[in-house]
Amino acid sequence: MFVCLCTGVTSHVVNDVVANGAKTSKQITEACGAGGDCGRCRRTLRAIIEAHFNVNGCASETLSR
Amino acid sequence: MSEYDLHSLILACDFRVDDVDRMWEWLKKHREPLAAIGAHHVVLYTSIWEPGRVLVTIGIRQAGSIRDVLRSPAIFEWFDISGADDIPPIFGGEVVEKIDLYGPSPEEHVGRVVVGVMSSVDDVSALMDKVHDGIERFKRSGVRKIWVYQALDDGREVMILQEIADELSAREWIDHPDAAAEWMSKAGFGAYPTQFVGRFAHLMSIGEQG
Repeated sequence: MFVCLCTGVTSHVVNDVVANGAKTSKQITEACGAGGDCGRCRRTLRAIIEAHFNVNGCASETLSR
Repeated sequence: MSEYDLHSLILACDFRVDDVDRMWEWLKKHREPLAAIGAHHVVLYTSIWEPGRVLVTIGIRQAGSIRDVLRSPAIFEWFDISGADDIPPIFGGEVVEKIDLYGPSPEEHVGRVVVGVMSSVDDVSALMDKVHDGIERFKRSGVRKIWVYQALDDGREVMILQEIADELSAREWIDHPDAAAEWMSKAGFGAYPTQFVGRFAHLMSIGEQG
């Protein structure tokens, strides 16, 4: 899925970034650029973070950022 | 099956709009920018159970750069006019196979019940084998067509559009999908929207009639 239309970043890339430790949309932006332009994909970025932490059975205090 | 079906790309997104009719009217008035990004067909499905939720597929003629297409002002303007503050993830892929379980039928038939799922699977080739092996079971579940698309950016990502006999069969399918329908398990996970159950609402050809 193309998540960030501004940068062309896909969910595959964002999933990798989250698997490597990103816990907030800001950290995702820093890692791959997604969400750094118009910012209208951040809801999807947060959904990916939440899915990752749900699967791995732990919560992040910063998910809502 | 049209001449484009086997070789064209498809963009698809599932999102909520303020006013479905207004969005469709806007799309009809903007054939030129759609043609400019290579679009040849736009199809609109409207959710049966969730007012305002739509699934839109856009057939694209040439591969080019799908990222350039997605960055085009027409795409952003489309979401603006739809009232979508959040831009949904967009599936970009190509046809793997369109299976018509009862033979070809007219492309445009408003009201057909469709279940759409974007998801990931372990192996698309293996999935197709399982689907073909389960055709008779799919028929017994009311499935009439199975259209399988594979994402360009992720070889395990698929979009499956199924035409199903009626709303009741669609509900039963959602609640108890066939074991071969591996794609159902990851719907709604992460970037993937939940299963879309809707009706075919509109088809617009671009560059042929307009």
